[in-house]
Amino acid sequence: MAGLVPPGTTTIPADASKAAHTKAEEKTDYMNLPCPIPFEELHREALMSLKPETFEGLRFDFTKGLNQKFSLSHSVFMGPTELPSQSAETIKIPTAHYEFGANFIDPNLMLIGRMLTDGRLNARVKWDLTDNLSVKANAQLTNEPHMSHGMVNFDYKGKDYRSQLQIGNGSLFGASYIQSVTPHLSLAGEIFWTGQHLKSGIGYAARYETDKMVAAGQVASTGMVALSYVQKVSEKVSLASDFMYNYMIGDVTASVGYDYILRQCRLRGKIDSNGCTAAYLEERLNMGLNFILSAEIDHKKKDYKFGFGLTVG
Amino acid sequence: MATKVSLKSKGKGGKGSKGSDEKSTVQCLKEWSTWAVKKAKVVTHYGFIPLVIIIGMNSDPKPQLYQLLSPV
Repeated sequence: MAGLVPPGTTTIPADASKAAHTKAEEKTDYMNLPCPIPFEELHREALMSLKPETFEGLRFDFTKGLNQKFSLSHSVFMGPTELPSQSAETIKIPTAHYEFGANFIDPNLMLIGRMLTDGRLNARVKWDLTDNLSVKANAQLTNEPHMSHGMVNFDYKGKDYRSQLQIGNGSLFGASYIQSVTPHLSLAGEIFWTGQHLKSGIGYAARYETDKMVAAGQVASTGMVALSYVQKVSEKVSLASDFMYNYMIGDVTASVGYDYILRQCRLRGKIDSNGCTAAYLEERLNMGLNFILSAEIDHKKKDYKFGFGLTVG
Repeated sequence: MATKVSLKSKGKGGKGSKGSDEKSTVQCLKEWSTWAVKKAKVVTHYGFIPLVIIIGMNSDPKPQLYQLLSPV
């Protein structure tokens, strides 16, 4: 706006242009609101900073692109894997596996398949039928009976709203709807019903975002309350905080974290109210060669996880 | 008299079989859908990655076969 006002003029035209600019900002066009983000990405910025994919052990990923759309990936992992246990102590067994993956990424169709050495398949399909309607499917198939899961989502994107229908195996049904109410605020609701456990629930969410910050809140009838706030301090730094409370169980967790995106590396770290700190570093050693360091220290459970890895391609 | 009785019993027998038929169509449908889901799971488990590879090898620009196996 300053460029439009020629230099050397009096201050009165400059004030008038500034007033016109703020008037345009105040008068929001409620017929032309932006399309909100999908409901499952409500806490996206907070999750990016506060929940990096920490791992324990060695990880090596090699992605080979055959052409712009098609690539194959080979991944090796060696390290202890945690078994879910009821007692307070963590039980870990050492595992090593190789994972072969094939990815096909097209503007309209995305197919990602990953096959592990123990016979498990992770498949993800995203198909954009039209500009507004897209179908997503996600499956984890194993050789063991009754351990496979699959889920299909139908997403419809309107002008300033999005709606989604979810059908999963074990007769799981879910639907969600998110609507932009002002240029910065969007409100959402969701319902779900499981046949197997005979549970149903309803939830509401709100998200307020500007250029510098994002605040999101979510309440569900399962007892979950989740609030998150992310502030973009500068181009390279953003700080995030998160508060999760389950009013049925009375379980509270608060965490604070940071995300530094620098030229050669990306460093994320967080500290939790459960006495858990985590850090994740991705360093770009060369074009296409990334070195990863991951650490997660849980002082309360005395569980220390350190991992390192290399990603090629 | 004998024919009357036999007709009656036939009628009863007929009704009974129709009832069991109705039950079995619903059961049949359930069995078929379970069978179909089981077969679909096996087909997806073995065929998804080959399907992605076939779709990828036929996309433009068409990659060569040796590129699938070589690490370069």
